[in-house]
Order: sequence, then C-alpha cells, then structure tokens
Amino acid sequence: MAFLFRPLRQVAGRALHTQTTSPASTPATALSLIRSQPSHYVVASVAGRKYTLAPRDLLTVPRLKDVNVGDVLSLSEIHEVGSREFTIRGNPIIPPENVKVQATVVEHTKGRMEVIFKKKRRKGYQRTIKHKQTYTRLRIGPIDVVESHS
Amino acid sequence: MPFRLPPPTRPLLRAQLRSRPANGHVAFIPQCRKLVFEFCNRWPSSANTRTFLTNHLEEFARANPHVEIVVKQRTQKEPIVRGFYLNDRDKVIALNGFEVTGIAKKVQLLLDSSGAKIKPLKRRTVESTTEAARGIWSGLHVEEPFKI
Repeated sequence: MAFLFRPLRQVAGRALHTQTTSPASTPATALSLIRSQPSHYVVASVAGRKYTLAPRDLLTVPRLKDVNVGDVLSLSEIHEVGSREFTIRGNPIIPPENVKVQATVVEHTKGRMEVIFKKKRRKGYQRTIKHKQTYTRLRIGPIDVVESHS
Repeated sequence: MPFRLPPPTRPLLRAQLRSRPANGHVAFIPQCRKLVFEFCNRWPSSANTRTFLTNHLEEFARANPHVEIVVKQRTQKEPIVRGFYLNDRDKVIALNGFEVTGIAKKVQLLLDSSGAKIKPLKRRTVESTTEAARGIWSGLHVEEPFKI
C-alpha cells in the first residue's frame, strides 16, 4: 500500500532489502544501531520451541505446571534480535545482559474437547477417550535492548 | 475526470488511533472477579462441598484478594460453583461426585481461566496485533523488479 503514496525520489541505500551493509564493528555498536530503530522482534526459545515474538503478542505454550497466573517470566534463550534494517544473531543465544524480554502468564486454559475413538473390527474392542489439552498463555512484554555504557 | 494526485503522506484514519487490548503487556489484571458457591444443606451430594467451604475456602479467598466470593443456598439441588469474568461471561461447574481435593482443583481452574470461550488452541501459537518489525516485502521496491 505504501506505493500508492508519492514515492521519495531518492531511495535511501539502507532501505533496499537486497543491499547489505558491513556488520558493525563491536557488539555495542550493533546494539545501539538496533536500539535506534522504533520496532523490534525477537526469536526466542520458550518451553523447548523457537518462536518469532514481538511486544504485545499472546503466546500459547503447553501448560507450565510450576507457574501461577500473573507471574512474570523473563525469556532466557534469545537467539535473534532484529529491527527493520538490522539483526543480531546470537551464538547460540544472545547474552541476557544485552536483551531483556519478559512475559506475563495471562491464563491457564484447556483446548477444545477432542474425542479419540479406537476400534478393532470384529474383535469387540472399542474405546472412546475424551481429552482436553492444557495450555498456558503468555503475554510478551516490551523488548529492552540494553544500552551498554563501556 | 481530472486526475487527482495521491496525498503526500499516509492519511491518519480514526480507527488507527484506538488502543489494542493487551492484558499483561505492562500491567496484568486478573480476569476472574467473582465466585459463587451454591450448595444444599441437607443432601449428601453437597457433603464434600460443605467440607470444602468450611475447611479450605478461606485460604483460597486470602490467596486471591481480587475475587469476590459468595456462598448461597441451593436447596434440593446438586452443588455448583459459578465463576464470573470481566468479559461478562460466566463458567458453571457442577461439584457433585468430586472429593474435596477435586473441588479445590475445579476452583483453581476457574481462578486460572480468563473467561474466554474454549477454542482449539493447537495451531494458534502466536496471536499478534503488532505490525512486522521488518516490514512487508514489496516487489516494486527492489533493485531489480521482477519481470514477467
């Protein structure tokens, strides 16, 4: 839809998706470049699975047993932080002192009722199992790219 | 019809300015507001409910100060617990047939829930209202536009 409005005569070099810039010299420079941009995303592992997360997302994971509704969890395995033009990829994770993301437990629910029907024909064996999978829903908080003063 | 230039900047539409709900993003508001226990004083099916109300209800009430707890008579009927939520929905659970620990689990289920209708959650991992940080790819804004 952006092309419907009058396009700018000069296209800034950075904005082209195909053009790559050289990687920043220090992690601090890289973090400050990312910090300078308005919106970020994060690729983090939660409960053993990787998700691409943004602030205000609602993440549904299998039920976390030792957590209460309203608790705030901080994501410890962040693999990637990015913004519109820059990305930092961790090896395998970005140290937690550089990027901080928190998630609040919003609810513990169950999914829809699933009916599992098993039958072996002509043997008189049939079983009906009713099952509701348990889930925990987490709300992702703001992504904090920490400014290092070194 | 004379050709009209498109506006130089994206017009700000009124719908963009409304806030998107995100409970838990910065502040978390517990969704359960009221629990109503209804039981019969005489029938044996309410016996476990009566034990629960005398022995365990107070600790649930102290642990969840945001919930209003009401205890009502429901003579000659099976015992139930109703949970009322901030989205104007309520959940009703029958408590006959449960032991005291089972009743405690059902009460905890009501307190943990958000009141939303139960829907299939297997495929809904990330529900997002944020626009993508990297933007959406446009075939017209590349160095070499695709030639059919």
